[in-house]
Amino acid sequence: MENVLSLVPVLIKMAIVVGVLLLLPLPLTWLERKIAAHIQQRPGPMRVGWHGLLQPLADAIKLLTKEDHIPAEADRMLFSIAPVVALVPPFLVFVAIPIGDPIQMFGTEIALSISDLNVGLLFILAVSGIGVFGTILAGWASNSKYAVLGSLRSIAQMISYEIPMGFSVIGVVMLAGSMQLSQIVSSQQGLWNVVVQPIGFFVFFVSGLAEAQRIPFDLPEAEGDLGAGYHTEYSGIRFSLFMLAEYLVVVVLAFLNVLLFFGGWLGGPAFLPATIWLLLKVGFFIWVFMWLRFTFPRYRYDQLMAIGWKLLLPLSLLNILVSGFVML
Amino acid sequence: MARTGVKRSNWIGRVLLVDLLAGLRLTLGYMVSKTVTHHYPDYEKWVPYQRHRGHHFIKTNEEGEVNCVACELCSKICPCDCITVIPFENEKGDRRPKVFDINLARCLYCGLCEDACPADAIKLGQEYEVATHHRGTLVVHLEDLVKAPGKAGNGGVVRPATLDRNGGLRSVTRTRPKDAGLDWWSRIRRER
Repeated sequence: MENVLSLVPVLIKMAIVVGVLLLLPLPLTWLERKIAAHIQQRPGPMRVGWHGLLQPLADAIKLLTKEDHIPAEADRMLFSIAPVVALVPPFLVFVAIPIGDPIQMFGTEIALSISDLNVGLLFILAVSGIGVFGTILAGWASNSKYAVLGSLRSIAQMISYEIPMGFSVIGVVMLAGSMQLSQIVSSQQGLWNVVVQPIGFFVFFVSGLAEAQRIPFDLPEAEGDLGAGYHTEYSGIRFSLFMLAEYLVVVVLAFLNVLLFFGGWLGGPAFLPATIWLLLKVGFFIWVFMWLRFTFPRYRYDQLMAIGWKLLLPLSLLNILVSGFVML
Repeated sequence: MARTGVKRSNWIGRVLLVDLLAGLRLTLGYMVSKTVTHHYPDYEKWVPYQRHRGHHFIKTNEEGEVNCVACELCSKICPCDCITVIPFENEKGDRRPKVFDINLARCLYCGLCEDACPADAIKLGQEYEVATHHRGTLVVHLEDLVKAPGKAGNGGVVRPATLDRNGGLRSVTRTRPKDAGLDWWSRIRRER
């Protein structure tokens, strides 16, 4: 009985996380369209609801009622599981992401994360690496040249950028002496890591952009040259699963940037609850990602590889070296 | 072309990503600037300039008679043959048009009819919403031309408007005195 009772808060937390994450892409698409519009001096969606706030809902209904088409030459099984494979990792990552110090409620201590793993960072990097399988499977199963090219690019991009991304967080782990995210945050009590590790932050930010396949690194779905890349053949609900995954990866990245380099929930003004402060920072990063998206053009393929291997990888290695020396 | 002017010694700027930051600054400026979109047709409507060549109209004199003397010069000069004029003599002995039809679907709004008219009768006005569901309604007759709106008095502005739900395809401006002087061009953000 005692064990069953201890499961209840975990189940509640899981339900909250899943619910919030499923609904989060709605306001995010609205935000993205608004930012795109205002950069181009137009108001964006305005007609459905106040300033178009209900537009994503209308779009969602449209997507869900559209024909769910599977091409005749496609591998039907892989084609149908690929969107799910792409969607699951961003959800899984949130298992290890804490959003604040433990709070007291109903006389017990409740941690503000589903499970604060002591190898949280490793878990996150490993799980988010699985996300690329969705892209690969989608491209392969579609049996279309654009989709295959898109997933080929995405494989190469993922391999190139996972490495500097992994290296760039080593500096943070060295400083905190732990891979547990709550420990990493509390190690930034006096000084945020972005001040101590500017190069690490730069490398993590850029390779994170590439991992999320966002402009300027969105070659896997370059609409100019590949149709829509790996999800060219997808429509209706399966397509919306890909979009969902894409937005959640952006949220994950914003969370990681804040937790690893911007002090997590620390350092806010006294009147703000720590969690709200964290979410504000995360929102800021999401906004920055969207701002970047509508500012920069896409890198060419060789430039993408050059940035990954010739710039970010040496920089991240240098960062480890320098922080090692300084710590000694 | 852009490459030739760049010096190799400019590496400090490149390391600090100065050009990327300049791009970001620019888009940030646009992000907080005003939008230039017209909320047409059910919220705002563009009133064209006085010189705009839109839907034709025919002027009338003080007695309410049309100025047109049915000389057919407009119909002769029309490059796309869209004006049909049939004259008749009215009870006063004046030459007036019995039929004055303009096929708006064929008209190219060049304004030659306006130039050719010796009687200050046919003009091109401010109306530009001529969309319709039936081609037949694009042939307008004398009574439509007399009723059609004239030149815009102080055009070149955006006015509040509502969509004409009965006609369905037309936006009607509402006059609100305080919006009269809205200078739409001042909203456009330009780089110096």
